[in-house]
Amino acid sequence: MRILLIEDDAETAVYVVDRLKAGGHGADHTAEGRDGLRLALTGGYDALVVDRMLPGFDGLVIVKTLREAGRQTPVLFLTARGGIDDRVEGLDAGGDDYLTKPFAFSELMARLNALVRRPPLSQIKTTLRVADLEMDLLGRKVRRGAREIDLQPREFRLLEYLMRNADQVVTRTMLLEHVWEFHFDPKTKIVETHISRLRSKVDRGVERALIHTIRGAGYVIRAPS
Amino acid sequence: MSFERLPRIFRTASFGLAVAYAALFTASTIVLGTIVYWTVMDSLERQMSARIDAEVDLLREEFVAEGLLDLVREIHERADYFPALSYLVTDAEGKRLAGNLPSMPAHVGWTDIETEPASGGSVEQNLRVRTVLLGNGVRLAVADDLGPIEEIQQAFLSALGWGLAAFVILSLAGGILLSRAFLQRVGVITRTAEAIIGGDLHSRIPLRGTDDNLDRLSSTLNRMLDRIGDLMESLSQVSNDVAHALRTPLSRLRQKLEVAKTNVGDDRKTEHSIDAAIDETDTILDTFSALLRIAQIEAGTRQAGFRQLNLSATFDNVVDAYLAVAEEQGKALSAKIDPDLQYWGDRDLLTEMLANLLDNAIRHTPDGSNIEVTLADHGAGPVATVADSGPGIPLEEREQIFRRFYRLERSIAQHGNGLGLSLVAAVADLHEIELRLEDNAPGLRIRMQFRSAASGKDAAHAVRTDSQSKHRSSFGGLESSAVTPQAAGS
Repeated sequence: MRILLIEDDAETAVYVVDRLKAGGHGADHTAEGRDGLRLALTGGYDALVVDRMLPGFDGLVIVKTLREAGRQTPVLFLTARGGIDDRVEGLDAGGDDYLTKPFAFSELMARLNALVRRPPLSQIKTTLRVADLEMDLLGRKVRRGAREIDLQPREFRLLEYLMRNADQVVTRTMLLEHVWEFHFDPKTKIVETHISRLRSKVDRGVERALIHTIRGAGYVIRAPS
Repeated sequence: MSFERLPRIFRTASFGLAVAYAALFTASTIVLGTIVYWTVMDSLERQMSARIDAEVDLLREEFVAEGLLDLVREIHERADYFPALSYLVTDAEGKRLAGNLPSMPAHVGWTDIETEPASGGSVEQNLRVRTVLLGNGVRLAVADDLGPIEEIQQAFLSALGWGLAAFVILSLAGGILLSRAFLQRVGVITRTAEAIIGGDLHSRIPLRGTDDNLDRLSSTLNRMLDRIGDLMESLSQVSNDVAHALRTPLSRLRQKLEVAKTNVGDDRKTEHSIDAAIDETDTILDTFSALLRIAQIEAGTRQAGFRQLNLSATFDNVVDAYLAVAEEQGKALSAKIDPDLQYWGDRDLLTEMLANLLDNAIRHTPDGSNIEVTLADHGAGPVATVADSGPGIPLEEREQIFRRFYRLERSIAQHGNGLGLSLVAAVADLHEIELRLEDNAPGLRIRMQFRSAASGKDAAHAVRTDSQSKHRSSFGGLESSAVTPQAAGS
């Protein structure tokens, strides 16, 4: 992935750029809004990470200008504010995701992966498949091999989100946002509980598990190698 | 002279008003007096002319009908019997034939003449004279005394003058007195303000109990000071609480980092203690972001996110998320939610409010407890309850549980930052939801009375201020366990 980071806080920027490069990705950084906009328009990046609060510049302008110019480059906003209204504003302006500072790098990485590998809207799938697990999105049915799996609506959405992001780590907060529309961190283990129930339905009695926990990062569904 | 150099009293609003009123009244009195003066004078002079005219006509008829001698005799008689008017008849040579006027005016028509003081009298007289030619060179003059008119004129003008002078003096004196009273009361307000600036935060403006403008202003200022005092107290309370709440996790973080340092060399142990330190840091960050969120919600700017929403669906979504969690923790969560109740509010925040209440109910009740969520609308706006069969909350602590960092004695050991219910209170306040803690016998029932649809979105702002003041005044009734976010937060 080639990522452009537009962020005025030098420490955060160095941290993010170093980690991206260490992960084998390309990363450019600028602290200046206008410079960032120019790079975003010409640089051919896979995704942008934009701080909302640049000195004398609102990061929203960058995504608005990009979208007006017809560019669909995914944009992830970083925000250090209380983060309450920013999400709605950022998404309304054409942003694709947001992350409140301070954040864990694993969280940023998981979200960038989800954004960059997101299939274009033209390829709407009606069936999702991971190894012998198959999800029929129209008939709302799930099968593991020959066995039909009976899922609650919420479990279905959870599994669907995991399968759409197959082979990529999705974090707890990503699941809370997309499956439950919870934009806060509940004190009880909602995600863990549901994952464990889903796991018992999907992976029960099967030798090769598909749903994996990545410690300190999140969950991933992938075919056994 | 510059305005600032006037003595202070002349610069007060009430003195200025007194001067302005005096000037206005003086001007209108002068205009009115002038009009009355001219009307009266004109009317008096007209009457005099009419009297002289009638006399002249009568005497002219006498002369035409009876001749000169009769006229002369008539005038002698009139001079004796009607001393009000003066007469003079002269022949063609100008010789005086009869009458008491000292001299004949030089020409015919109306003249005003001044007589020498009559012998024996000392007052000169002003006379108005009409002179006519009767024929054959005979002239007749009839005159009336202008004295009475002049006296009325004098009396009128001096009455007006004295009246005005008295009025100006009275109004200026009154203005000064009123201003001094006003200044004294302003002085009291100023001194109170100075005292507060000087550090006596509990100083208040004394009221006179007259309920006049200044009294009402003072009472409003006092209430403002009370409110500011409350806010400052709550602010310092919060900073104290923040300091205390963060000291524990920060010292735990330090311990973990020390352990990590001693473990250097043993990769597995080091990683473990660094992970623990990261967890501890996350806890601290969570506390901070929760505080920020509460502050932001309390600031009330979030009403921008209000939409028409399906409250029932929002509740269903949260309950659905917690069903499995409750079961996992050995608690029975059930819900009775009436379908399709609409509400004007912020979906994300209402979701968070209910989620926090369920978090609380699940974490603070023993195994086997029942937790029930209901939502219904019986006409007065939606009412929701979250009830549990746990240990409940002692009456005397009910008002405090919405305070930031407040935790019941028995739950201190449990995980949590003590901010969940403060956030609930902030969201409820933003949505004008009345929170009430009730006894579920056993357990706790939190009752949420939502605003009725009638007071809908347009009235939202007006209602907000109303309900806040209502909340404040209802606080203090200990029997009613209605706890308001405002009261609880401060």
